[in-house]
Amino acid sequence: MRISFRLPDLSLLIGGSVAGLILLCALFAPWLAPYHPNDQELLYILAPPVWSADGSAEHLLGTDSLGRDTLSRLIYGARTAMTVAAAASFGAMILGAFFAHLAGYFGGWVDWIISRTVEVWLSFPPVVLSMLLIIGLGVGTDKVILAIVLVDWTRFCRVLRSEVQVVRGQDYVAFARLIGFSHARVIVKEILPATLPMLITLLSLQMGISVVVEAILSFVGMGVPSDVPAWGQMIADARIDMYDAPWGLALPIFAIFVTVLSFNLFGDGLRRTLDPRHTANRGA
Amino acid sequence: MTERNILHIRDLDISLGTGDKILNGVDLAIAPGKILGVIGESGAGKSMIGSAIADTLPVGLAISRGSIEFDGLTLTDMTAKTRRDLLGRDIGFIPQEPMTALNPTLTIGQQVGRHLARIGIGSARKREQRAIELFTEVGLNRPGELLKNYTHQLSGGMLQRVLIAMAFASNPRLVIADEPTTALDVTVQLKVIDLIAKMREAHNTSVLFITHDLQLAAEVCDDVAVLYAGQIVERGEARSIINEPRHPYSRCLNLATPNLAGPKTRLMILPKAMPSPLERTAMAGCKFTPRCPIAGDLCIGTPPPLSEISAGHRSACHWPERTETITPPPLKADDENTVLGADLVMKATGLGKAYRQHDWLGRVRRVEALRGLDFEVREREFVGIVGESGSGKSTLTKLIVGLEDITAGVLDVVGMDRATTPRERFFDRVQLVFQDPQSALNPRRRIGSLVTQSLECRGSGLSASARKQLAKDLLAKVMLPPDMIDRFPDQLSGGQKQRVNIARALCSNPRLLIADEIVSGLDVSVQAQILELLRELRKQASFSLLLISHDLAVVRHICDRTLVMYRGEIVEQGPVEDIFTNPQHAYTKKLVAAARGNSGLYADATEQEAENEAF
Amino acid sequence: MIKAVIRVIGRRLMAIVPVFAIVTILVFGALRILPVDPAQMSLPPSATIQQVEEKREQMGLNKPIWEQYAIWFKRAVAGDLGESAQYRMPTSSVVFERLPATIELVICSLILAVFVGTVGGILLFSARGTPFESVGMTLTSAVMALPDFLLALLFILLFGVLLPIFPVNGRLDPGLQVPAQTGFLLLDSLLTGDIGIFASALRHIALPVMALGLAFSPTIVRVLHSSLINTYQQSYIRQARLRGLSDREILFGQALKNAILPVVILVGTQFGSLFGGTLLVEMIFSFPGLGNLMVKAMQTADLSVIMAIALIYCATTLIFNSLADAAAYLLNPKLRTG
Repeated sequence: MRISFRLPDLSLLIGGSVAGLILLCALFAPWLAPYHPNDQELLYILAPPVWSADGSAEHLLGTDSLGRDTLSRLIYGARTAMTVAAAASFGAMILGAFFAHLAGYFGGWVDWIISRTVEVWLSFPPVVLSMLLIIGLGVGTDKVILAIVLVDWTRFCRVLRSEVQVVRGQDYVAFARLIGFSHARVIVKEILPATLPMLITLLSLQMGISVVVEAILSFVGMGVPSDVPAWGQMIADARIDMYDAPWGLALPIFAIFVTVLSFNLFGDGLRRTLDPRHTANRGA
Repeated sequence: MTERNILHIRDLDISLGTGDKILNGVDLAIAPGKILGVIGESGAGKSMIGSAIADTLPVGLAISRGSIEFDGLTLTDMTAKTRRDLLGRDIGFIPQEPMTALNPTLTIGQQVGRHLARIGIGSARKREQRAIELFTEVGLNRPGELLKNYTHQLSGGMLQRVLIAMAFASNPRLVIADEPTTALDVTVQLKVIDLIAKMREAHNTSVLFITHDLQLAAEVCDDVAVLYAGQIVERGEARSIINEPRHPYSRCLNLATPNLAGPKTRLMILPKAMPSPLERTAMAGCKFTPRCPIAGDLCIGTPPPLSEISAGHRSACHWPERTETITPPPLKADDENTVLGADLVMKATGLGKAYRQHDWLGRVRRVEALRGLDFEVREREFVGIVGESGSGKSTLTKLIVGLEDITAGVLDVVGMDRATTPRERFFDRVQLVFQDPQSALNPRRRIGSLVTQSLECRGSGLSASARKQLAKDLLAKVMLPPDMIDRFPDQLSGGQKQRVNIARALCSNPRLLIADEIVSGLDVSVQAQILELLRELRKQASFSLLLISHDLAVVRHICDRTLVMYRGEIVEQGPVEDIFTNPQHAYTKKLVAAARGNSGLYADATEQEAENEAF
Repeated sequence: MIKAVIRVIGRRLMAIVPVFAIVTILVFGALRILPVDPAQMSLPPSATIQQVEEKREQMGLNKPIWEQYAIWFKRAVAGDLGESAQYRMPTSSVVFERLPATIELVICSLILAVFVGTVGGILLFSARGTPFESVGMTLTSAVMALPDFLLALLFILLFGVLLPIFPVNGRLDPGLQVPAQTGFLLLDSLLTGDIGIFASALRHIALPVMALGLAFSPTIVRVLHSSLINTYQQSYIRQARLRGLSDREILFGQALKNAILPVVILVGTQFGSLFGGTLLVEMIFSFPGLGNLMVKAMQTADLSVIMAIALIYCATTLIFNSLADAAAYLLNPKLRTG
């Protein structure tokens, strides 16, 4: 039918730009942050943000109970969150996609073993499993990343496996086998290109999930070391003084909310944009 | 016309938001108790007529001109609520695919009951009684049990009977049947058609019968209208339009359809494709001009009116009398005498396949999909396999190409034992053309890469440019333009995709080509293109073809011999003419009779049993 | 019919036994690898090396790990889950004392989530094509970006600090006492006949339930919405419309039964996250349930408690999964009668 000019998806645009902005904050944290995140100004604790009655431009978003600048800690917190999210999501994707393609493509006992493993994994609530892993692994940024990878690969595996099964049922996969493509070649050349959109979408959604898990772990003191600023930690600190300084609690919550929302929107937008049902219509 | 028409569509236009027309000035009328057939290929807009009557046009489409009158009421002026009240009561619908037209999570009884309640049968007992009456009327056995069943427990034919019963339950004045038999097996098709005709008589209902099948329309309809590119090009009494068409399109459609009887001819090939709504807007004259064998200068600039040629027969052509001069291309000298090679390309001895099925309780059941097949295919021979769904045709294909393992007997393919020879020795010699090009062509590869895909995994030593040239050569073989190599499958029409599908299989010069229902689901004119293409290719390349098809006429048209399969066995085999003119086995007789449109040849009861037994 | 239901559920539950056995082995193994000495943990810090050694012997820690597992398994079957190092009490009594609170919380949250999710999904679907649909979608996106623990904190900020209308600590107002009969506070407080106590319990559980339930509901809304859209593309819906059924009859009489299936499966698979959410939410609201206990046990490395609670989490998740499976199975006549 007619070729219509399609505006880029709105959520893709908004989600993408906000997520990009947060990534930039994370990258350039040392240049953007007005203070060092761990600098304490004990004379100036629990300062309110600039827009409240006795706020000052010195600390735009106020200070915490140790007199640390909230804005700087938020910016550095973004750095922690993004490092963990990017590394962990990528790791979970690689691991999950690998097993998903094996299980979905070969079926049979390979599928049986992988599916049962995923089932055992999923019987743990993810939060519980990640905390158990942290008890075993100990705290540290790398440990948090590893824990998230080990917990969330199943998310990729489960969703992608059924996607792979759908593609595997297509005749072009059977044809590739008939003309002598090896299994590895079929997976890489014929199946992966079809599952890639889903993979990228899941990656974006997983970024949001990783941010949340990192925040949860830092919140209960089982995440990154205490000298690394993290949003979860800021929430835990601010909780104690929430009656005196509600902003201290609200701001990191807001930071997590915006980050997760932007990745979710970006993922949703990606899903719609990359949906083959949309692209299939272009020539029809 | 003296009698008031039940349905009168006047000058109906249905347009896209852009103003491009899907239907253009359609005028139709059905007298009480008559069947009007609307014939058209996909894209002609025939289904839109039903949707317009029911007020269920897809989003983005709207009636932009004209009116629809139903039994003296102007539907197009009514509120949505009043129109909906007519549906199911005064206007019934019979769907295209009975298998999906009923809710799978509700029992047949619940759905029929709800419908009967809507048309005013108060008590549950009366509803059940009425349902059983209706089911008996449409020839369903054990109606009481059927009411408790779910859709998946019934065959397509039985479901269509249920839906017909529902459509006629309220004694409607109009029933709209949209391709009611397309999804059914040949032997079931005619029974459903007969049933619709019978119900029409019993309930004195008018029927709007939408179909792509000329022969079928001739069989059941009183009048037909031929639709092309959103316009009616010919309208009149069914027999006269089928036998003496007065519009080139109707004539070409007729000549493009393979026959089961009469002398073998070449099929009429219509070049190009039906114009899209956008292209139609840009055409000033007759929309059929670019494909018409007799078009003249007048046709390009001036649209022909739908004018009366003889009593009740109208044609939208400037030269209706010239229609008769259209004849199919003559048989060429080399068409009929292909020399078969002496070697066997395939030989099956006692071939069988059994599956082990696990049900959800973990019980293992042995299901024999194929039993004791013996047959041969010679070099350059075209062999057709006919049979209905469940006959084991598809399983056989899978065995031959090695997608499934053989469990009994010996299968010799291109001189090697299929079961013991390593897979890679068959790769270049046996090729499969898949049924559905949509699924068989990776949507993310370009056409050029698709047709030469079989070179990829074996170091063919071809340079990029040589590969490109090969791709162009292959496309030329299937009569596609060379510039197509850079396109994606989604940008091609169904017929073009199927040709790419064939070109791709020819890439490695196979000795045996297996074609699995490759023309089913294609329009008549596209089917003719593909079939003639296969005949042409036969002269150039030396391959044998195993053509699997449910359509006997297609098999007769291009094959030398045929195998008839029924429930996993070959019940009859031999040269096509022998089999189709003088069938021996009871099942073959039934198939041939059904394909000839002669349903009286076999007893009703046996078929009904078979249908029930299958589940 | 009832027999069939029981058979299907029974079969599904049997299937999780091997999975659960593997889970116990994994958890047991993982906790034994930890750099924590359970013997030392279970004694006061003043214990001598010899006392620790004796304790190790007594606890069987010097035996090979599979033998330890066998011992643990035998004891666990008999109801002995070890001793909590933190409370110096049998783990089983520590854990089971807090179990009803968590069950109550989870059930209330689940009911809220399913209710809000189903109503929201149907409303969002009914608004398809209108601006309300985009508003609704944006709203679900926003709530989806607020996981349960953030919602909990936000509710505390909103309804505890800024506009203190709900209590944010514990299960009852200080000073109130309810005799434990069932362990489920809402029930017990009703049984006292004192409406004030019941109201207090209700007000205390409100915020945690809202946090857990509302965090889960947007997913249900989304799934039901898209599932309804899918169902409406099926030809039996079109056919029902051609028989003149009204929109209402089609939605509730035809489509909903088919569209609810993915929701049932979703609730089954995502139940784990809801249940896992109790961990933080209980901690945040000082709600004396399993989650709170678990966080404390983790911070103090109270191994037998961690083990017991982890297994309860897994068992519940597995049971719920299989119940949802069975429900999906029973809702699908093709599987049921096929």
